[in-house]
Amino acid sequence: MNPSILISRNLCVGYNDKAVMSEINFSLEAGKILAIVGPSGCGKSTLMRVLGGLDEPLSGECELLGIKVTEAQVRQREMTLRRSGFLFQGSALFSSLTLRENVEMPMREFLGISNLQIRQLAEYKLALVGLAEAMDKLPSEVSGGMAKRAGIARAMALDPEIIFLDEPSAGLDPISSARLDELILKVRESFGTTIVLVSHEVPSILRTADFCVYLDSDTGTMGAYAPPKDFLQLGSHPKASAFFSQIKIS
Amino acid sequence: MSHNPNSRSSALAEILSDGTTRVTISGNWSIESAVPNLIFKGDKVCLVPDTLGEFDSSLPAWLFQNFKNVRQLDISRLPPRLQSLYNLAEKSTIWESPTSPPGFIERFGVWGIESFSSWQRAMDHIGQTAVGLFRTLIGRGRVNWNDFALQLQTSGVDALPIVMLLGFLTGLIMAYVGLIQLRQVGATVYVANLVALAMTREMGALMTGIIACGRTSTSFASQLGSMNVSQESDALRALGISPVEYLAVPRILAVTLMVPLLSLFATFVGVFGGMIVACAGDLSIEQYLTQAIRAITFKSFLVGFIKSFAFAFIAAWAGCYRGYVAQRSALGVGNAATSAAVLGITLIVIADAIFAVIFNLYNF
Repeated sequence: MNPSILISRNLCVGYNDKAVMSEINFSLEAGKILAIVGPSGCGKSTLMRVLGGLDEPLSGECELLGIKVTEAQVRQREMTLRRSGFLFQGSALFSSLTLRENVEMPMREFLGISNLQIRQLAEYKLALVGLAEAMDKLPSEVSGGMAKRAGIARAMALDPEIIFLDEPSAGLDPISSARLDELILKVRESFGTTIVLVSHEVPSILRTADFCVYLDSDTGTMGAYAPPKDFLQLGSHPKASAFFSQIKIS
Repeated sequence: MSHNPNSRSSALAEILSDGTTRVTISGNWSIESAVPNLIFKGDKVCLVPDTLGEFDSSLPAWLFQNFKNVRQLDISRLPPRLQSLYNLAEKSTIWESPTSPPGFIERFGVWGIESFSSWQRAMDHIGQTAVGLFRTLIGRGRVNWNDFALQLQTSGVDALPIVMLLGFLTGLIMAYVGLIQLRQVGATVYVANLVALAMTREMGALMTGIIACGRTSTSFASQLGSMNVSQESDALRALGISPVEYLAVPRILAVTLMVPLLSLFATFVGVFGGMIVACAGDLSIEQYLTQAIRAITFKSFLVGFIKSFAFAFIAAWAGCYRGYVAQRSALGVGNAATSAAVLGITLIVIADAIFAVIFNLYNF
């Protein structure tokens, strides 16, 4: 059994001191894929930001890569963030840099290797996400889906131990979405990377995720933590099952 | 064969008797350390691991870079994990259709088309602005009047300090330069005429127009450009509201109302600035004021007013136009702000030259 890489203990998250979601408890083993699901506005992205150490929780404790990020000093937290990769909802690519320069940027900042090697790595990462031919384009010159994929390539730039993906499939056509799922699985399989993703795409969640956190917006608490296939069986987690089946029908 | 956990990454190429290039890969591969340079020939390559240790993405990246163009590549002897990482990148490249870089003629053609469509967009925006202003004047326009009130404040009242400072210094500098030159011919009294006439006809309007470009145009371009980024303009369009009418018209109206007033203010402050230098030199306050009042005619005021009105319109329109066509990115918004100032100032100087010719022709 792999050690736990991400642990949430009684985590409470929200905005401006107002709690959105509380009593979040789970522990994720290294090399597993976790999906965070729930209705819109229930705090999925907020939870992901807190789990990744980008934001402070209102209360509770979060342990990422063996470091209690909720208590860590700024320097220690920065070191932990460097071992993590993030894909934000809007891709968050630097608009003045080409896709390749976006992927190269973290390498230039943190790796003491030659420009040629940085270029080699960036081109490979972009080829992984299918952007080998578009690497010299600016983010404004590519579609939303391509920007998403470039964002994933940047998240993988430093071979992180854990990657946080905020709605990676949003804006992708079904074929690209399925290929992205395949990529996520391959990255996990080949690099042993742990992946946490926020998604609404049930087929994608079923294909990729080992575990699922369902956030219940009615109670403002974590509704369930289980393998996604469990949610398809009515009875075990009624609200999560209802949510899954509603999405499936729609 | 056991491998040394501290051994560095290495690769060795050798040509076999059947013409195949065998590349032996060994050592530990990490993105934090240098990878070997490999020079080899041949279209038939076989990759062989030998005491291959730990590796991260640096090894598949190195393989991808060196062997992606090899016709016959045998990776069957590599570890399955490495094979899958290499194949994944190979397969992924098919997602996009390959494009060749455009040639000179194509680039020239693209430049021509883009320049033409840029002019077309500018003309279209002028037309939409004119229609919006007309609809507003006849009371049928959908204008955000809250914006209008806000812009009266920001482009007018808030600009008073900078207009006062620059107007004062402009008058002061003109008087200083004029005094030195006119003293040589014993005509220092005409410094008042020079400052009063120049400020009224020319400098008051020009300085205020340029300040409006630097302050207001850039601000409009950033505001409207950001609205493009957040798709607020699209939301207006989706509601059946013209973004030009709703957003640009109140801004243009506010600026064309406030800048002529600011210009008038700058003129008086400039004349006052000139008076300080003139009186510190050879003239008395009475002499200066008498000469200045004698020099300024209603015609001069009218010329200055017409110019300031036109410059205000140009400055406001340039900001709104550049914001309207801004690309949807942070870079696009920045470029819009810069090009708004450049476009505004350029058009103001061109307009000033045209005014000079017209007023000279009609002896105005």
